Amino acid sequence: MRWRPAAGTLVLVALLAAAAAGLARSAAGAGQDDPVRSVTADLRCPACQGESVADSRSPIAAAMRQAVADQVAQGHSRDEVRRWFVQRYGPDVLADPPARGVELLLWAVPALTLLAAGYAARRTLRPRPRRTDDLPAAPPADGPPPGGAARRAWRWSALGLITVVVSVAVAARGLDRPRPDPAPADPVAVAVGLARDLEAQDRYDAAAQMYREALRDRPDDTIRLRLAFALLRAGDATGAGQAAQEVLSHAPDSPDGLLVLGLAQRRTRPAEAPRTLRRFLTVAPEHPAAPEITRLLAAA
Amino acid sequence: MLGELGTSSLTVGLLCATLTALLWLRVALFGAPTRPARLATAATLATAAVACGVLEAALLRHDFSVRFVAENGGRRVPLYYTVTSLWSALDGSLLLWLLVLAGYAVLLAGRRHPPRLQAYAMVVVSAVTVFFFALSCFAASPFRAVDPVPPDGPGPNPLLQQHPAMGVHPPLLYVGYIGLVVPFAFALAAPLAGREGRSWLRVARPWTLVAWAALTAGIGLGAWWSYAVLGWGGYWAWDPVENASLLPWLTATAFLHTALGPGARRAGWNLVLACASFVLVLLGTFLTRSGAVASVHAFTESPLGPMLLGFVLLAVVASTILTGWRTPELAGRTASPVLSRNTAVLVNGVLLVTIAAVVLIGTIFPLLSGPLGGVRTSVGPGYYHRTALPLAIVVLLAMGVTPALRVGDRTQALRRLAVPGAVALATVAVVGLLSRPGLPALSAFGTAAFVLTGLAGQLPDRLRRSGRGRLAGLVAHAGIALVAVGVAGSSAYGRDAERTLRTGETLRVADVSVRLVGVDRRGDSGMAVRARLRLSESGDAERAVTPALRYHPARDTAVTVPAIDTGLLRDTYVTLIAVSPDDGSATLRLAVNPLVGLLWAGGALTAAGGLGSALATARRRRRVGTPREGAQPASVAVRAGAAG
Repeated sequence: MRWRPAAGTLVLVALLAAAAAGLARSAAGAGQDDPVRSVTADLRCPACQGESVADSRSPIAAAMRQAVADQVAQGHSRDEVRRWFVQRYGPDVLADPPARGVELLLWAVPALTLLAAGYAARRTLRPRPRRTDDLPAAPPADGPPPGGAARRAWRWSALGLITVVVSVAVAARGLDRPRPDPAPADPVAVAVGLARDLEAQDRYDAAAQMYREALRDRPDDTIRLRLAFALLRAGDATGAGQAAQEVLSHAPDSPDGLLVLGLAQRRTRPAEAPRTLRRFLTVAPEHPAAPEITRLLAAA
Repeated sequence: MLGELGTSSLTVGLLCATLTALLWLRVALFGAPTRPARLATAATLATAAVACGVLEAALLRHDFSVRFVAENGGRRVPLYYTVTSLWSALDGSLLLWLLVLAGYAVLLAGRRHPPRLQAYAMVVVSAVTVFFFALSCFAASPFRAVDPVPPDGPGPNPLLQQHPAMGVHPPLLYVGYIGLVVPFAFALAAPLAGREGRSWLRVARPWTLVAWAALTAGIGLGAWWSYAVLGWGGYWAWDPVENASLLPWLTATAFLHTALGPGARRAGWNLVLACASFVLVLLGTFLTRSGAVASVHAFTESPLGPMLLGFVLLAVVASTILTGWRTPELAGRTASPVLSRNTAVLVNGVLLVTIAAVVLIGTIFPLLSGPLGGVRTSVGPGYYHRTALPLAIVVLLAMGVTPALRVGDRTQALRRLAVPGAVALATVAVVGLLSRPGLPALSAFGTAAFVLTGLAGQLPDRLRRSGRGRLAGLVAHAGIALVAVGVAGSSAYGRDAERTLRTGETLRVADVSVRLVGVDRRGDSGMAVRARLRLSESGDAERAVTPALRYHPARDTAVTVPAIDTGLLRDTYVTLIAVSPDDGSATLRLAVNPLVGLLWAGGALTAAGGLGSALATARRRRRVGTPREGAQPASVAVRAGAAG
């Protein structure tokens, strides 16, 4: 029977080797799936709650997926694409921002829990020998507690119960009554609202995307002007100029249209810019941007 | 009319609940007769039932003068979803919560448990009932009058009108959630009830098993609903609402194991876990029902937050004081061997508690990071994948090792683990070499193989012995292992693609392809757009599938209706994302999700195992026979019990 342990060891070694090979191959191959999917799964959809760009069905996520696909098609690596998004939108665009500051909590709390629970388990497994309190300090009371204590307990409990009810009643008075749902939201208004939020966060590219979404549903000059402003701030002077020109084709004297067009022309066709901006000043001398434009023209 | 009836039933209910709590307190403190207390308990259940019935009647009769109906009812809503809209928004679901809670109270009052322990436990349950009645009465009454009365309502949230699981999932989840009040009540009652308190574990475990089985089924149905309705092809998004249901499940699972066997050795663990489970239920209710944490499916936003939070704190304080006050002394103060079931159960407890900590901090992080100076962001699935999943695999491993430790003899244990270990290694080798699922999925496959082989090895032994509860435990564990295989398989081998197709074009994923035949619009109730598709798998005959987009004007939302083709080994899942204005093209997402069926099967097995175990425990108890109390006053019974 001497062969049995040897055979057992042999089988074990063979199984371990095969399993190691399987693990190694699997680990090496894990990264070879769709690169677009793997990048977008790590990006947070800015218009949704807790969904990744890969899973969200919102238009802005679709736009971001397209942006990732474009960059991957241009031969950028995953890390490059990720870095590009972080540079543009800040680290919060990542679904898992790198742990720093408050985010350390996400790791510290589980680690402390593991330690504390592990310590408690150790205590349960290896209890310290008891010295002084080998006997229970007070034998557990049996039967109802003696009269005086019971009456006190009764009074306090009844009082506590009533306090709970009264505090709920009082707290409820201070509440806003839950309002009935507001009138159905207009999807265009939602898109414009989202875009404004994005603008407030200096994310003009994403804002422009949302304005384009809104425009597709409602070709409105106010939205087009906002799009033009967002494009201008995002650095797309050509796009901003086009949008402003479209507005001006309907309303040749739109002050905002002239303003954006002029500012865009300063980058695309510097020769025409002063003329457009001067026209802006004549059309809207009271415009809040007018003093700034006067200064610009004077400096030129 | 109905509104006034409902309001008065809530008011009477609040009075009844308060009276119930006080009467049970008299039973506990002075040994007063239990009959009035039982009657008051039953009366509380009756008022909760009347309140639910009145609201249901108002929904069915489209009585829009009742606020809840005006906000959640609608004439166009199908009958089934009108019935289920009782729990489709906060105020109505609070009534269902009350009904279930009062139901548990009546069941608990009706069982023959040690009398003082039972009385104190009933005080705790009734106090919880009082709080929720007060909440429903003062802060979230669904019965307030609406003036002027609207002609029609918007109907419940469109996502809640799409899947038949809506009728079962919330009630089951509530039965699970609220059932955890029973172990909580017993844990608080144990230190108060003196010597009787020592039996609390034996008494509380079957109740916990029932609640746990319902919670498991509820979570499983929730995942199924999410898979079938939300249209992104997944079943678990680590969303706050999902996490809130997972948290008590984790601690209750740990409790069920620490309460096994010589549970008195782990007295502290049992008390803390039993209390934590219900506190997490309350915390979850606070998180998801107060609008504190944004979620894909936290449908309600309400101002109940501060009150619920206050009650969570009250529960924490009460459980800390009561359980810390007089911890029942520990039996068997001897160190157990390192390789023993006791160790395994504690390791399992430590890991489950740590997973719960991961899920909890991930869920409340957005609440904490703002005030602490961070950016208010939610935590993405990546965090949980890196933290909770490895821990879960270790839990699975511990699950496979534990049964082998029965004898405590090391060589015996190793011999028992040899075959499962070999099968696990072989699985890893074969699966890893043939396909490349990635490390997490591969280790999950290996561990699941380990567990399943071990369980199969125990099957003959367990069948031979009479205890049916043991078989139920085995089934529950097998279910968990199957869920692990389903999760790993669907995340590792799932493939999807998304593209805009013109009519006649084809989208292909692996060997599955769909061809766009055309787009239909139906204008009757709005606005449903369907994409007619032909789907073919590995060159088989084509089948017609029609995913759709439904627009609900009353709520201004568009809802996708994915077309899911369920197979034995894999599902094909087609979602219509958008349609061009001229109907000439449609944006589609085609996903192939392998092994998803195992998730549902595993979840069902786990829940069934839990239920079977509860039934077996109850039957065993009945066979052994508990002393019948008869109609004598509790105090006499206590004395008699103490004497005998």
